[in-house]
Amino acid sequence: MRGPLGTLTILMDMRGSSSFLRVSVQVSELRRVFQTRNSPVVALDGISFEVEEGEIFGVLGPNGAGKTTTIRILSTLLLPTSGWAKVMGFDVSIEPEKVRHVINMASGAEKAGYDFISARMNLWFFSQLYGIPSDVANKRIDELSELLGLTKHLHQKFYALSTGYRERATIARAFINDPKVVFLDEPTIGLDVMTALRIRDFLKIQARENGRTIMLATHNMAEAESICDRIAIIDRGKIIAIGSPDSLKRSLGAPAQILEVQPIPQNLDFLASVQGVRGYTSSVDSERGLTTIQVVVDDDLAAGRAVDSLKKAGYKILSTWRRAATIEEVFVSLVGKGFAERERSGENE
Amino acid sequence: MKFELRPWIRTMKARALVRILSQFGEPLWIVVNVGFPIFSSVALALLYESAGLSGYTGFAILGGIMISFWGNVLWSMASQFNWDKQEGLFEIYLTSPCSITAILIGMSVGGIVGTAPSAVMVAIVGWLFFHPAVLASSWVAVVLTFSLTLASLYCMGMLLSSLYLAYGRAAESLNNALQEPVSMLSGVYFPSIGQLSPFPFGIQVAASLIPLTLGMDALRRTLFFSQGVSSVSIELIALAVMAIMLLVASSVALKALENKGRREGTISVRIR
Repeated sequence: MRGPLGTLTILMDMRGSSSFLRVSVQVSELRRVFQTRNSPVVALDGISFEVEEGEIFGVLGPNGAGKTTTIRILSTLLLPTSGWAKVMGFDVSIEPEKVRHVINMASGAEKAGYDFISARMNLWFFSQLYGIPSDVANKRIDELSELLGLTKHLHQKFYALSTGYRERATIARAFINDPKVVFLDEPTIGLDVMTALRIRDFLKIQARENGRTIMLATHNMAEAESICDRIAIIDRGKIIAIGSPDSLKRSLGAPAQILEVQPIPQNLDFLASVQGVRGYTSSVDSERGLTTIQVVVDDDLAAGRAVDSLKKAGYKILSTWRRAATIEEVFVSLVGKGFAERERSGENE
Repeated sequence: MKFELRPWIRTMKARALVRILSQFGEPLWIVVNVGFPIFSSVALALLYESAGLSGYTGFAILGGIMISFWGNVLWSMASQFNWDKQEGLFEIYLTSPCSITAILIGMSVGGIVGTAPSAVMVAIVGWLFFHPAVLASSWVAVVLTFSLTLASLYCMGMLLSSLYLAYGRAAESLNNALQEPVSMLSGVYFPSIGQLSPFPFGIQVAASLIPLTLGMDALRRTLFFSQGVSSVSIELIALAVMAIMLLVASSVALKALENKGRREGTISVRIR
């Protein structure tokens, strides 16, 4: 059974021209509050967005930002506290059964599968949950496995598959029912580079050639930048920016200033008060005994002031350079901190 | 939404097949499944013999056969469903259009087929060593009673599965709490209701609420006391009614649990 093809809506595309596009996912003022023992936790605080058919849409944010909650509501596993969401025109709260016919979902953290049967048998089993005839299911398993480089491992028992091949099987499962919309939660987490690349290529093919809408929750900025047509940056349950990776990066004033400094700083909060500095993020390289600091600035003068303030604070600057803007710097410019600082500060808890 | 039979049957068949193949995929589990009921049956049959009640050794053998299925209901079905949740499989079921009842019936069918070798082994070993006097006058009555007992037993397993989803990690303790008392009250190895029961009337009535009790009693009467369908008709009707009620209850409980899980965010372990 298939639902209607989604709401026909006139949208403005990235270049500003109007075109007829089908909206696969609509979210309006979505809010979700969890009741915990201590106090209510606001996981989503009134987010709204639309995703077009055939689009790869990334929901990017630090841990605890509300990405998984969004995915869970859209895939009918969770009810919103208020607001509404539709997938292919069906309301996820009122018509979950209809939504389930047109979607699939997978999480990179899951190891879902029956250990003592083969990967092929697992995929066949999951196809049966959608009532797919076995001959059709087997053909799909072959096609998906070929694209994901899983073919040679289909006969292996599920427990014998390596993490990478398990994840490939999980991704194949998410496409086994020929879904219109696929929700993926951190699909490449913990995978080696080659497997992650293979999966990203596969997702691009599914969106570009088969017109599937893919919604991806991730905190991997490089991944979001490389495969997403548009990205919603989410922090503390709110969308703080939305657009194509290029348009988001263009919103930054100037290239970021990168500095390698010694000794390893305990506190860099003084950087935030430097005129023209939008924010910073840092990572410690223990082996080399230094810290790399990315400072997002309005202009070249501000970059100079940031360097001076670090010198005044007694840090030795080993090297410094300017770098083309990244999505992380977009987040830093909006929040004033990087993902790592945000997670360490516990502000998303 | 319109009910579609074909996808429902495909789901059920697939889950049954996976259950069967998974059970045979663990060699040690086969040994445990087959071995333990044989040891228990033989021990109790020897006890009957040493007490000069060799005419009752059939009770012990029959008990060994049926306890295999009861163990399967508890450990390989109700608990399995909870493990499915822990592994993230329940989420996959819920985000698909499949019927959870079809999944559970598939698990039941798979469980019955997977347990059959163990039950057959108990029957063969018991017959070879003790030659129990089987005095069945109506095999139709025996087969009917056996089938309805299994149906009600596995429908009880379906209801337990939904309860286990709610209890989560306490499921294993619940298994332990249910295993021995049910074995004793249901009279798996000795008659717990009727003239030969050692229990007072009140406990017999309470024990009769367990499908296994009525099934065991009716099976003993049809297998060892030459009674026919008419003699056990009340038990057969009661078992059929229990099976239907438990099936409906499990279906309602699962739907309620799903709605509660979606409301409270308890379908998954992670909050956000």
